[in-house]
Amino acid sequence: MEKLVIFAGMALVTYFTRYAMIAALGREVDPLLRRWLRYVPPAVLAALVVPAALAPQGNLEIGLRAWAALVGAVIAWRTRSVLWTILGGLATFWLLRMLGA
Amino acid sequence: MKDLWRGLLATLPLAPGVVAFGLLYGVMARQVGFSPWEAWAMSLLVHAGSAQFTAIGMWATDGAIPIILTTLVVNLRHLLLGASVAPYLRGLSPLWRALLALWMSDESYALAIAEYERGQGSHLYFLGANAGIYLAWPAGGLAGALLGTAIPDPSQYGLDLVFPLGFLGLLTAFLKDRVGVAVAVAAGGLALVGTSLLPGKWAIIVAGLMGSGVGLLLEEVKPTWKNS
Repeated sequence: MEKLVIFAGMALVTYFTRYAMIAALGREVDPLLRRWLRYVPPAVLAALVVPAALAPQGNLEIGLRAWAALVGAVIAWRTRSVLWTILGGLATFWLLRMLGA
Repeated sequence: MKDLWRGLLATLPLAPGVVAFGLLYGVMARQVGFSPWEAWAMSLLVHAGSAQFTAIGMWATDGAIPIILTTLVVNLRHLLLGASVAPYLRGLSPLWRALLALWMSDESYALAIAEYERGQGSHLYFLGANAGIYLAWPAGGLAGALLGTAIPDPSQYGLDLVFPLGFLGLLTAFLKDRVGVAVAVAAGGLALVGTSLLPGKWAIIVAGLMGSGVGLLLEEVKPTWKNS
């Protein structure tokens, strides 16, 4: 029972982070803010990709994940396909792993 | 309704990664004394992978308030995601907006916002993407909690790469001109430096805010970089 109370608290604060800005920016927003927000998705996506590829443990490390992401980037650029990017990147990771890199 | 399916199907390439880490979460939840149903309930209610792993790690040593506050901090990046998707949801009823926020994950947000950027997005596509991830995450958690011990770390098989690779595929939607490319390079670099300096998910927030600011700045300073 006590666990459920904590889960509910966690759910509540998580929902706050998801809903707050969607609610706050529900009306017409300042054009400058609007222009800024257009650049948030590429910035966030790049911020999710680069450290995961180049610093999976928190420190710079040019390892299997970096090469997998490089191959993934080329595939993404040529195909724009999420599926092929994932498959190509994972295949690179597994192949290099098998070769003992 | 077609968009709902499109959104749902778009999550399929990411689903194996979500399920794999869901399994790991389920196993770890059992190890700190959760029943399978409790592990499942947390995933159903909270639906936030990083925050749940963090909470499990704190479970034995910390109390309710630190766990809930840490959950808040780990999920603060969603303020940024919500802000950037908000303009696309403006025409919707408050109920729809509240519903779309409920199951918004990094993954479903990325799928939806890329589709909006391509001019093919809709609230139904967003809902479908949310639903796909929301089906996969608790299912993995429950399965992991029921199976227990014998599940290896998905990172050993590189499955942690599923998410950044998927985001790479979606990032291409935003690299239409030099400003977009510069934003991605700046944010990626900032996040890389930030990861070694800042705790938790702060690097993503800082890089997200500053990287997008670079875009706004370049629009002013280098107007020819826009749409070139």
